[in-house]
Amino acid sequence: MPFGKFFDWFYTFFGFRKTVRLGIYGSVNVGKTTLANRISKDWTGEEVGKVSHIPHETRFVQKKEKVMIKQDGKNLTINLLDMPGLATKIDYRSFLKYGFSKRAAKQRAREATDGVIEAIKWLNNVDTVLAVMDATQDPLTQVNITLLGNLEAKDIPVILIANKIDKKRARPDSIREAFPQYPVVEISALKGKNMDELYEAIAKYSRRGR
Amino acid sequence: MKLKFNFISSSALDEKPRSKRLSFILNTVKDGTILVTDGVLKADEEMDLIRETMRRVDDGFPGIEVASLKKPTKGVQSVLEKMTDQKERIQNLISGITGSPFEKSSLRTGITLIGPAKFIKRIKKNPNSFSVLTEV
Repeated sequence: MPFGKFFDWFYTFFGFRKTVRLGIYGSVNVGKTTLANRISKDWTGEEVGKVSHIPHETRFVQKKEKVMIKQDGKNLTINLLDMPGLATKIDYRSFLKYGFSKRAAKQRAREATDGVIEAIKWLNNVDTVLAVMDATQDPLTQVNITLLGNLEAKDIPVILIANKIDKKRARPDSIREAFPQYPVVEISALKGKNMDELYEAIAKYSRRGR
Repeated sequence: MKLKFNFISSSALDEKPRSKRLSFILNTVKDGTILVTDGVLKADEEMDLIRETMRRVDDGFPGIEVASLKKPTKGVQSVLEKMTDQKERIQNLISGITGSPFEKSSLRTGITLIGPAKFIKRIKKNPNSFSVLTEV
């Protein structure tokens, strides 16, 4: 929406700038919370949430407010929003292999479905999105396509994060090839690789809240 | 066990108001049927489909698998598409104020497959094609 850009300029010009609500979105187990933790630890020394190899560990929106990023002598204040992973299916049986009881697995599945709904709702309340993708996986999934289509329709700036580049099977180029119209930053949130490039991109592409 | 496909024209889906369309799709898929149509839901409607799916997930219905291919639009066609989107957004806004839900939104040209996740094991997507692996 062109008005969005106009208002962004207007609010910035007249000094009504507030914080950037930075949403971290993506499929399940792509490293969203690892990234949120890395950003938060880099600038506040504190983590945002617990990381696990079990899918849907993040089932509620996790926030870290007033994270100040310093880039090229300028300060950018962000509210970090770590979203539950987006998915089109959640089967409680998939949790049983991780040692969950049937009851606990069903509870986790219920919370995970609520988490997806909450993450979708939050799309109306973010200023900029980091769309995290696992560089070892095929990026052309319907979840990624739907997410990017929505952000484009809402005119929300998005930076694609090719995560897990520390792994041998990582192919960040496949993300660039699949979505050539978006800026891509290749990182390893786990190892903290290329984080400066990410902060540069956040400073460059972010739209401030109003 | 048998696998049922339901091929439905986009015009038949277009006739349905938006909420009823999503309901129709999910009722069909929850019934164990794979639905194929010659149209593509708009991104926001597809997100609504995911949200509605999550609301309906239960022990026997873990969710859906979706794959779609949209016909690329360029030049004037692309501009017209964006104008239509803006028009619909304004209509939605007005209807929100007046309280009368505006629900008409047309599908884009393309192809979509939506099926139950318990039968569709994998969808491999390429820019111009997709393949579906089922297990019944």
